[in-house]
Amino acid sequence: MVGRRIGVWFDRLMLALVLAVLVVPVLWVGLSAFKPRTEVAALPPHLFVRPTLENFVELFGRTDFGQNTLNSLIVATGSTLLGLGLAAPASFAMAWHRLSWPATATLFARMAPGALFLLPWFLMFSDVGLTGTHLVLILTHAVITLPVGVWVLLPYFEAMPRDLVESAQVDGASSMQALLKVALPVAMPGLVVAAILCFVFSWNYFLFALVLSGFNTKTAIVASFNFVGEGVTNWGALMAAAVVIALPPLLLTLLIQRRLVAGLASGAVKG
Amino acid sequence: MLFAVAMIVFPFGYALVLSMQDFVFGHDAHFVGFGNYVRMAGDPQVRLALVLTVELWLVSLALQLVIGTWLGLLLARMRRGRGLARAVLVSPFMLPPVVVGMMAIVILDPSFGIANWLLGLMGIAPRLFLASPDTVILTLAGIDTWQWAPFVALIVLGGYLSLPSDVFEAAAIDGAAGWRRFRYVTLPLLAPTIVTAAVLRSVDLLRFFDIIYITTAGGPGYASTTLNILAYRRGFEFFDIGYATATMVALAAVVFGTTLAFARIRRAVRW
Repeated sequence: MVGRRIGVWFDRLMLALVLAVLVVPVLWVGLSAFKPRTEVAALPPHLFVRPTLENFVELFGRTDFGQNTLNSLIVATGSTLLGLGLAAPASFAMAWHRLSWPATATLFARMAPGALFLLPWFLMFSDVGLTGTHLVLILTHAVITLPVGVWVLLPYFEAMPRDLVESAQVDGASSMQALLKVALPVAMPGLVVAAILCFVFSWNYFLFALVLSGFNTKTAIVASFNFVGEGVTNWGALMAAAVVIALPPLLLTLLIQRRLVAGLASGAVKG
Repeated sequence: MLFAVAMIVFPFGYALVLSMQDFVFGHDAHFVGFGNYVRMAGDPQVRLALVLTVELWLVSLALQLVIGTWLGLLLARMRRGRGLARAVLVSPFMLPPVVVGMMAIVILDPSFGIANWLLGLMGIAPRLFLASPDTVILTLAGIDTWQWAPFVALIVLGGYLSLPSDVFEAAAIDGAAGWRRFRYVTLPLLAPTIVTAAVLRSVDLLRFFDIIYITTAGGPGYASTTLNILAYRRGFEFFDIGYATATMVALAAVVFGTTLAFARIRRAVRW
């Protein structure tokens, strides 16, 4: 009995340690963003300094970071809508006709290294003169969001009773109407998870925007990377940028954390 | 369908064609058949990049699977606090890779980073981390493990909770406990779950790009120039497009082959 209780406490201690290792670096960065720039790199670190917003003021005042953040929002929203707009009918049809090969094919898109597509895209979009537009980024990021949408939605559509859709069709609904009016409302929880995952994936995605965005469409992710590349020694502004781009994914995933892992692992479980 | 063809199938076909040309930006392209692939076979840089890719993949994968399985089973034993732990555990892998890279740069900076200061407190000599060719791969593996071991843990937790509990009761009656229980009961039952996690991580690790590019850009020297980084730099910095594409195609083949191998393994461990 005593041994068992020691075991429980040991487990708790280990878990607390692990959580600390995960949380402390993030907190450290978050804290640094609110320190005066003279304090950011101070060693030994000063834990209790008067918090200031000067890093954020500098970030948004001296650079285009406001515009960059807006670009990220446009691209992430656009590619989420496009990706889901394509994924919903596709996965609905796959579930209905019990097809598995299209889902496997989208897996390939998820497995190939991004740069494999990037070179051809770069040449293609240069030919049509689209590089440096929001549209290019929305289109390319939809290649990321489409497979995510398909794989998250598929199990929801597969679990749906067939009678539900059939009765709608008996009532004269086209398959598109059946999808919009019957299937999607039932699959709403899945749609929310898919939308959030798509948004976060697109928001976080680095490589495509690095190459394909122009001066005016640069995303916040790429702008932050450029701060690092320019050897910005002002760590305060760097950390402020990190906080701005980290907040949306962190807050959004808190909403769906329970289903998140299932969503991310879907596709591999069957394969 | 149209979208999939325009954005995935066509670029992929285009990539295959490009990989058989000696296309360097600004010069005329000629068809060279498998010339680029032959050139790769004798290219010491490609060989080094392949070794580094495999090294990074195996070291990271081993760390993540061991720590993740341990952590997942630890969580499974906890009665309370699992919700809070889950909220913390999903955060690292939902953070934008750029943020993780920036955190690593600031925390692991050899002279101004807090990591070396902490090591100093414990009387340990400062490390160069990402700045030394000897430690850069291990450091990158550490960063990726920080980010993704929690993901493995949550998959393992999900797998464990879906196991039939009577097996463990039977094992308890038979007197299996501690290591024996883990080795002969838990591990075989969890094997398919762990292999699933291994597939997901391998696909990402073999094409690991963002954090390497952000923190070291392949350096110091070529010490962290994996295949993906090498192909990217050849393509977008030296505009040796044909050869870079051939390297990407080869990498895609490696990723694909590894996934197929894991599918075999999973069939073997299924119960």
